Amino acid sequence: MKRNYNFKHWIFILPALVLVISILVYPIFYSIYMSAYDWNLFHSDAKKFLGFENYLSLFKDREFLHSLWLQLGFIVIALPIETILGFFVAILLNRDGKFYDVVRALLLLPVFVLPVISGLTWRMLLQPEYGMMSFILEKLGFGVKAWLAEPNFAYSMVIIQDIWRMWPFMFMFIYAGLSGMPREYIEAAQIDGAGFWKKITKIVIPYLRPTIATALLLRLIDALRIFSEVYVMTGGGPGNSTLLLSLYINKQAFEFFNIGYAAAMGVILLIVALVIAFFIVRGNIQFEGEKG
Amino acid sequence: MRRVISVLLLVFTVFLAFSAPYNTTIKVLAWDDALTQALKEGIPDFEKQTGIKVVLELIPSGNLLQKIGVSVSTDKSDYDLVTVDEPYVPALAHLFTPFNNWSTGKVYKKPNLSVFAPNAFDAAQWMGTFVGMPVNANVYIWITRKDLINDPKNKQDFKSKYGYNLGVPKTFKELRDMAEFFSTKGIYGFAPFTKQAEGTTAEAIFMFEGFGTRPLEIVNNRVVVALDDKKAVEAINFYKELLKFSPVGALDMGHSERIAAFNQGKVFTMFQWPALVPQHEDPNSSLVAGKITYSAPPVGSAGASAIRGCWVLGMPNASKNKDAAAEFAYWWASLETGTKLVPKGFTPARSDILLNPTMNKDRPWFKAIFDSMKGSIARPRFPQYAETSQIIRDNWLAAISGKVTPESAVKKMKDDLNDLLKKLGY
Repeated sequence: MKRNYNFKHWIFILPALVLVISILVYPIFYSIYMSAYDWNLFHSDAKKFLGFENYLSLFKDREFLHSLWLQLGFIVIALPIETILGFFVAILLNRDGKFYDVVRALLLLPVFVLPVISGLTWRMLLQPEYGMMSFILEKLGFGVKAWLAEPNFAYSMVIIQDIWRMWPFMFMFIYAGLSGMPREYIEAAQIDGAGFWKKITKIVIPYLRPTIATALLLRLIDALRIFSEVYVMTGGGPGNSTLLLSLYINKQAFEFFNIGYAAAMGVILLIVALVIAFFIVRGNIQFEGEKG
Repeated sequence: MRRVISVLLLVFTVFLAFSAPYNTTIKVLAWDDALTQALKEGIPDFEKQTGIKVVLELIPSGNLLQKIGVSVSTDKSDYDLVTVDEPYVPALAHLFTPFNNWSTGKVYKKPNLSVFAPNAFDAAQWMGTFVGMPVNANVYIWITRKDLINDPKNKQDFKSKYGYNLGVPKTFKELRDMAEFFSTKGIYGFAPFTKQAEGTTAEAIFMFEGFGTRPLEIVNNRVVVALDDKKAVEAINFYKELLKFSPVGALDMGHSERIAAFNQGKVFTMFQWPALVPQHEDPNSSLVAGKITYSAPPVGSAGASAIRGCWVLGMPNASKNKDAAAEFAYWWASLETGTKLVPKGFTPARSDILLNPTMNKDRPWFKAIFDSMKGSIARPRFPQYAETSQIIRDNWLAAISGKVTPESAVKKMKDDLNDLLKKLGY
């Protein structure tokens, strides 16, 4: 049936359209506009048009490439671990009973902790003299260490903090998908003699693939914006070992006040997000197509 | 009757309007801490005296520059006065009316430069012009545990080991010796500042200046890299030596870690900013309250070098209420305001208050502020200070953490600074 869109339809759509344009489309285009200028916040009246020069400078900026690398590394390490953890815990807790209800609810708590609070808490936990985590690690034979003062450890701790806080998010999604899966699938596989791994790889994962893809996409968007927890936990240090791209953008924009340059970085971050999201969504569509 | 009352009310209103010297509102943007909170308490008095209503907006110091950046430009300003941390004065100087052009007050007298603590007004200077007025004397002061230096056993042990008397460290050599001495007694000799923050740059400059060098200098109105390799390496090596006597996690210490370590009685001596001193003297949160002595920082081989970071009050060129704004600034700097608000947490910029014996009875660090101000030095005066600071900090941290040798850190610091100057067209 062909729909007939007339003037009246547009009247109803208009408020939503205006809202979307003003809070989503306009800032994106304004960022692109800013990225074409040599624009210092304190000398806004003396901004100079550069065209693509900011983008070209970015790829010569070692700090930018380093922070982009750290950001991508963070995503590549943290997201799969969160997904695997969430997946297996969802399998484990996909049972009926009051006990499981309570455990499932409690497991979600870290997701509700504000990122800034999470960062501060981990900072205190890892404080070498009075931090609980440092105490435990010392008892486990790791010695007294300032974990956040050593570049590799600091980066690892930032990732561990994120995994702690966000794996329940993946669990929540996967559990929701799993609880909607008809039991007959598993029962039929069992009758056919499928073992645990066979059931996981041939039935559960294919069934949950759209759910996992959606959860990954949402996590990806979130992970690209990670800022406050790292800011309070390490401030990007020691050195620049945890200066993720979002922190570097903040530094350029609000410490150095190079807002044109920072906007160019923001645009690159947007492109990175779109590219990764494209592959996730396309993979999922292809899979759905193959499934028929 | 109603008509009479109306006329009387009108007359009364007109009388009120004309009896106050002003009838206007000014907007002031300032950082949020004990000083400005104290200031807030005095504002009703100021409003009564002048008829100027003050809207004082306090925001965290870390966000202040961003706020100024979006609120003040050459032709538009949301504020009549803004406060700026000293290192950022050069970046904003072009937006401010020179202090010499501020009006003379009708109610409060324009202060003479001589009433301010030594060197305080230098904080407001850029290219030979005072672009604002300092509102506090913010400078490195040195805090030392007096109970430890007065302990007879410590005195005796120290004298027999080092051959001179234990006391407040006055030189870098004494600082090193005393830090070492107390580290053998289960007390950390020194608490550094090593976080990825401005405090680390301040430490680096403090050390460089102590050894007689500095990263940037202005020569004939040109900014040049002036770091002396040998002296800079000496400074780094000396700081590395101090780190041996510092708390576990010495390479990850910021304000909160340093305050916690000192207040737990674990640290012998360190620098502190005056605004944070009350936290050490609060018996509810500090085990060392009342056990601290205050002084100017120890002196390096090249002389005194307390890092200064006075807050400066700038009047945007685009302000529409300049006379009233100036009146507020003069009230802030007045002896009466300072005397009244110090008990509430105010830190003054005036010498007469800093040296007042009554004030020093309750706040013994005031005299130390004055003494430190005498030898105070600025961080690099440069419009792109934040980028300069980042370069100094990154290379300093790389060197003191042992990631690179001091020699290569100094070389890279100079190269990076030269690259920055080149990029900026200097």
